[in-house]
Formats: sequence, structure tokens, C-alpha cells
Amino acid sequence: MAQIEQSDGGKKKKGAQKKMHIHVDFTPMVDMNMLLITFFMLCTTMIKSQTLSIALPAPPDPNQERTQDNSETVAETKAITLIIDSERDKDGNIVTDADGNPNDVVYYYFGFEPTIDENKNVIFGGEGFKVDNTVKAEKFIGNDGSATQGIRRVLHDRNAQVLEKLESYKDQWRRGKITEEEFQNIAREVRNDSTFTTRPQVTVKATPQASWQSVISALDEMQINQISQYRIGSFTPTDSLLIVDYKRRNPAE
Amino acid sequence: MGKIKVKRKSTLIDMTAMSDVTVLLLTFFMLTSTFLQKEPTQVVTPPSVSTQKIQMSNVAQVLVATSEDDKDTPKVYLSVTGEANPDIPEDNPGAWGSENLRKEILKNAVALYMEAGGKDPGITNDDIEKFAKVATFGVPISKMHEFFSLDQTKQDEWLSDLDRADSGIPLVNYLATKELDASGNPVKTNEFQIWMRAIFNATPYDEALQTLNFKMRKTGEGIAVKADRGTSFNTVNKVLENLRTIKMNKFTVMTALKSENE
Repeated sequence: MAQIEQSDGGKKKKGAQKKMHIHVDFTPMVDMNMLLITFFMLCTTMIKSQTLSIALPAPPDPNQERTQDNSETVAETKAITLIIDSERDKDGNIVTDADGNPNDVVYYYFGFEPTIDENKNVIFGGEGFKVDNTVKAEKFIGNDGSATQGIRRVLHDRNAQVLEKLESYKDQWRRGKITEEEFQNIAREVRNDSTFTTRPQVTVKATPQASWQSVISALDEMQINQISQYRIGSFTPTDSLLIVDYKRRNPAE
Repeated sequence: MGKIKVKRKSTLIDMTAMSDVTVLLLTFFMLTSTFLQKEPTQVVTPPSVSTQKIQMSNVAQVLVATSEDDKDTPKVYLSVTGEANPDIPEDNPGAWGSENLRKEILKNAVALYMEAGGKDPGITNDDIEKFAKVATFGVPISKMHEFFSLDQTKQDEWLSDLDRADSGIPLVNYLATKELDASGNPVKTNEFQIWMRAIFNATPYDEALQTLNFKMRKTGEGIAVKADRGTSFNTVNKVLENLRTIKMNKFTVMTALKSENE
């Protein structure tokens, strides 16, 4: 293939030139191409990164009298507050378990914020409180088969009405009866359906040492559990007292 | 005895076919590849179940990095991408490619900076041309001219040296806008906010063209915040609060895909 033969038609004429073989060696060409391919393979990013949309509350209007920060009213029976904390060693590196997952802890309570007395003791409950607001802790451990666990189970149970209703649509989508787009539209409607009485309103807070990853994990849980009402709140001294109190009540094994 | 003739076989392997295949492969990789962007530091984005795709055109990426010694102060670098296939380059800024867009942004930023009380940074036309070519930038505006007078390698070194105080866009509020707050004092601002405003003002609001302005104001897809998974939320939040202050409270954050069994 790489040689050019000069045919002389089978007959030898007098004075005709000798039959010539021109052979081009392609080996260096292949070598060079291989090098270039290697270069391009190493330099390309085949996986495009994904994005996650976040909407923070609009900034306070400077012309208006500054009202209280937590002016948004959250119904006591619906409210869940998550305080996310990441364990870090003394160099500031995140402590991970054997599988390489970070040791994030999610402290949470339902209802109103527990009150702090003048001696900095935490008092749970109170007059007229309908919901037990004891601080508990869970972890991001995802699913075990089809059963939810950790913080996901807590959120899943609270949002059971929405999730139950969506389950039948999800089944239809899996069987191909409705398209993904249709399912997403239905899901959006169901998520925002205010007739559900137990639809949770979640406030996500993070301690100063909490990692970016743990906050994203928390926002993921909102998506997984179809929770439409959540916001990122700011971490207050009360929150840190709650964590200290929790650790005192539940010393690590 | 007659000699046994051993037929001599040529050891030459014809490489033409092989060459054909490699050239085809090479063409494929050249056409499909998008090069890794040169960034001051490598960050590993946090995993998330979100499957929303990253915007390839008309997007401003905010890279949040920290130096080894000071993990609480965010270092911010910006990179702006314009329209991938600019077709009306002259009269419609909404359809501008990256280079034209960046020129406009730098001019806007310098104007805003001087309006807010900053000293004339002395940026020349040459600097503007150079600025249009770089993907990621992140030095104080006052050092911009000095930065672009250096050669490429020195510029990269400057940006990647996170311990340098003048690497990264300053988030310190030292400038003052014309706006007044409730008590009549001018609202403080910083260079990061100036840059974000300059990016926002560079394009018109146009839904059909999906301009950067539209994406920043309406959907939030025009801003992509990229931070390392290990960075503390406190640090990232400082940047997010700055975005919130200038009413850019809708944005996206860059994540890596995580598969989640349901």
C-alpha cells in the first residue's frame, strides 16, 4: 500500500528504466499520531460539571427600617432547623471515615428555637409549644437499599404526604407512561401544593467549620425529599450553645 | 546436493492502515475536546445529585480559593465567557464573544472603580487587549497595569501564589458608592462587587439571546460559584453574602455528579 510500483506493462523494452519500488515508511507518522492522541486524551475533560441552583433571600432594603432578621413567619408545626457541622482535625482538614466520606453531623430540631436562660442553659419546650423541640443529631448516610436512613429518613417522614403522592407518578414515569418532563412538572406542582398540612419548612444553618460539601449535601437532601420550602439561615450564638448542650447530654461513645 | 532455498520474508509491516486509524482518532479528540481551563488553583467541587448542566456560554464563574495559612479569607478569581458563536459582533453587545465582552467589562469596572473613589489605575489600550485574551483574572484593579506588563509565566505565577496579598480580587469594603443607606452614609462597596456589577452592565437584558445580563438577573444561571468541597461554609458564605448585597441572590454553584440510588 505504501509503495508505488512502476509497472512496465510486462514487456521489457530496451533502454527502459529498472522497475522501482518507492516505499514510504509510516511508522514515525504513527508514532507522532499516537503521541498527539495521548496529549489530547489527557487534556480533555469529558465530564462536564453540573450545577445546583441556589436562591438566597433578597437583601434587606437599606431605605427601610431594619426589622428583625427572622421576620419570616414559620409555622411551628412545619418548622425544621438543621445545623450542619463537619468534624475537622487540628490542621483544619476534614475527618473522613473508612470509605472517605466526611464525618458530617446534622443537629436538628422541630418547631421553635429552644430558649436559653441567663445561665446559658438550654430549655426545651415551654408554654404553648406544641412541638417537642429537643435537639437531636443525625448523619448523611443516604439509603440502605430502598429504605432511607439518617437525616434523610427524618426529612422523608416529615414530607411523607408529598412523597406518597409523587410515588404513584414516579411509577408511571418509570413504566414510560409519562415523560420525564411531565413528571417534573407534576412534581413541582405537588411540592408547592399548600393543601398538604405537614409540608416542612426547613432552615439550613452551618457552623463556621462546616464544609462546603456538607452544605451542598444538605441542599441535596431537600431535592431528594421534594422539599420546596427551605432557606439558608445564619449561624447564631444560640445555635452553638445548642450544639454544646447536645454534646453534654450525649457524650461520644 | 541442492541448496534448500529459504524464502526470505520481508519484516516490513505496512503502517499505512495504522496511520489512517490514528489520524481518525486524533481528529475525533481534537473536535470533541474542550481544554481544561487554566485556573490559579485546583478545586474539587462537592458532589451533588443535581443534574443541571453547566452553562457553556454567557456565564461568569466565581472561583473561591483559600491560601494554606489563612483558610478564613476567600480569594476570588473571575472568568467570563461570552457567546460561543458571536454573529453580530459590533452593534449588539448581547451577542458578543468573550473578547469583546471582556473589553467592555474592564472599561465598566474601571469607570465604576473611579466613581467609587478609587485612584485612576492607568490602564492602557494595550492592557485592555491583553485582558481580553486571559480566561481568569484576579488582581486588585490598582495592580492591573503592573500585572499585564509582565509576561505570561510571571502572570500565572502571580495568580497561583495564593499567599500573596495581591492575588485575588479584594473583598475588603473600602470603596464607597453614590448610594446612601438609611442613616445617610454612602454604601460601602468592594472590588468584587464592582466587577460583578461591571459584568452585569456589559450586556443588555435580552431573553431571546440569553444574554449574560438576562441569565444573571432572571435565572441565576449566569453566575457559577466554584469552591472546593473542603472549604468551610463560612468562607464561601462571605462571597455569597457579597453577591446577595448587590441583589444577585440567585446563582448556581458548581458540583460534581453523584449517583444516588433511590
